[in-house]
Amino acid sequence: MASVKLKNIHKEFNGVKILKGIDLDVNDGEFCVFVGPSGCGKSTLLRIISGLDDASSGEIEIADKDVTHADPIDRGIAMVFQSYALYPHLTVRDNIGFGLSLAKRPKNEINERVNTAAKMLQLEALLDRKPKDLSGGQRQRVAIGRAIVRNPEVFLFDEPLSNLDAALRSKMRLELTELHAELNATMIYVTHDQIEAMTMADKIVVLNAGHVEQVGTPMELYHHPKTPFVAGFIGSPKMNLFEGQTAQEHGADIYGIRPEHLTLSTQTGKWQGVIKHIEHLGADVIVHIQVQALGTLVARADGDFAVTTGSEIYATPQQGREHFLSK
Amino acid sequence: MKRQQVIIGIVALVLGVLLFATPFMFIGITAVKSAAEASHLGLSLPSKWLFWENFMAVIKARNYMLLLAYFNSTVITVGAISLLAVSAAMIGYVIQRRPSKWNGFIYALILAGLMIPPAVVPTIWLLKELHLFKTLHGMILIQVAYGLSFSVLLFRSFIASIPRDLDEAAIIDGAKPWQVFFKVILPLLKPITITVVLVQSVTIFNDFTNPLYYLPGKDNVTVQLTLYNFQSQFSSQMNLLFMNILLVTIPPLIMFIFFNKQIVKGMTAGAVKG
Ligand SMILES: Nc1ncnc2c1ncn2[C@@H]1O[C@H](COP(=O)(O)OP(=O)(O)OP(=O)(O)O)[C@@H](O)[C@H]1O
Ligand SMILES: [Mg+2]
Repeated sequence: MASVKLKNIHKEFNGVKILKGIDLDVNDGEFCVFVGPSGCGKSTLLRIISGLDDASSGEIEIADKDVTHADPIDRGIAMVFQSYALYPHLTVRDNIGFGLSLAKRPKNEINERVNTAAKMLQLEALLDRKPKDLSGGQRQRVAIGRAIVRNPEVFLFDEPLSNLDAALRSKMRLELTELHAELNATMIYVTHDQIEAMTMADKIVVLNAGHVEQVGTPMELYHHPKTPFVAGFIGSPKMNLFEGQTAQEHGADIYGIRPEHLTLSTQTGKWQGVIKHIEHLGADVIVHIQVQALGTLVARADGDFAVTTGSEIYATPQQGREHFLSK
Repeated sequence: MKRQQVIIGIVALVLGVLLFATPFMFIGITAVKSAAEASHLGLSLPSKWLFWENFMAVIKARNYMLLLAYFNSTVITVGAISLLAVSAAMIGYVIQRRPSKWNGFIYALILAGLMIPPAVVPTIWLLKELHLFKTLHGMILIQVAYGLSFSVLLFRSFIASIPRDLDEAAIIDGAKPWQVFFKVILPLLKPITITVVLVQSVTIFNDFTNPLYYLPGKDNVTVQLTLYNFQSQFSSQMNLLFMNILLVTIPPLIMFIFFNKQIVKGMTAGAVKG
């Protein structure tokens, strides 16, 4: 297994700077997730690690070897694409075994390894089908099988679940986590979905506009966001962020409080406001409150908390849950 | 359907049949007539069906020239098509997948190949210099050159519909550039390849003017040129001329009848699913 080290990676396309100096260590066996808004350069960074694209400058080490200028096949990586990218003219068996047959492995070895991978992913019954006769989830599994079978040191995933429906996605999240535990391989996973990042990652790398905002475990990012961007990006609904007086009282630029860390009351509290909008999620209810001094405040309350639009309400931040951030 | 629509439909069908089938019927009927009857050039049925006699007469004419012509045309068509399909697919792939600063120039050349009419005399001069004039392989190269632009454009637009992820997945799997093309892309080009092969082979097989210019000589005769040769000889034997036309028309016709569906499919097929 292998660690991945990125040193000062820059990338520009036609003079436009897309990545602006990325430094990153991914440890051996870690499940590392890159998150960030669309267009921040996640895929670009992953492609640079894979060797499909070259960095404009900077160095890449995989398993302590400098692979900055190595071909993809010499990097010990496998990649799963968002579009699955299965070869339409080959059966599932040949899709999974394609890399091995290119490497001129003996037939029976290929067969054995394909079967092992298929078993791990419950694809045994589908081995003789063509990709067009598979469902989206099955195709995704074939794509993962194609990665597993080569025994790579590092797995790269580019939004592998984003073409699946919500139910299947949460099932696959679990399967991927189990797979990671089973293979104990280093995995780098790109997503713009912070739920995927929170649920699967050992380490989250938050990217924004071509640079790393913060690196940490999911809970570190949740409890101790270092920048307003990370504070707003991690967690759902998004953290309430306010500039102005409240922040200045504490010597910060921005004051933040998560919706789930506000206590609501009809009698008394720190901020008084009017309920503008209510979203019932069943277990929870999300309340949008118009507060004179602040603006809109979003709070999460218990599902059976009885509120109506237009009524008055008080919100109080919980002790020790407030965030004071500088720009 | 309204009555009026039915009537219009029937009229259109009848017109269509008259327009398209009459020439064929005329060829077929004249081809089996006796020389005297054929000289009237009418649509009346022959009094005696002379299929076999006329057939053998045409085959045997000028020391079995038609058979030699079939052989030559087949060699030219097969040779040119193989070269054409493989090189057009490869060129289309490279210009679609690897944009470079040369692309504008290459496109200009391709469009020039489509639009600028070939100049016969300089081409003959060039062929002579290369010692390819009056040779079958010279003719093959001419046909490849004339068909290349159109085929490259067809391949290029089809390849554009194949997701680039497939190339990249193959590269990750360890494929060399030529393996990406031959193992992943080429198999997916089947529909468009069939279209190119059929359309171009009919064009090349039926070509009259190019062999006339670039392939003179009795030994180099191609099927369409047999008509030219026969026409003078058979001016009093319309039946044999039409039998010759019939024999020359048949192979492309069979191709079209059998592969009709594939041709249309290749023309319209786009994205590869899966
Ligand atoms: N080949 C390219 N040529 C020019 N610009 C590119 C190229 N590839 C990516 N970019 C630009 O780089 C930026 C980052 O793209 P990238 O695909 O890495 O974003 P991303 O973070 O993966 O976004 P998403 O979540 O939407 O997939 C975008 O602004 C994109 O337009
Ligand atoms: Mg992306």
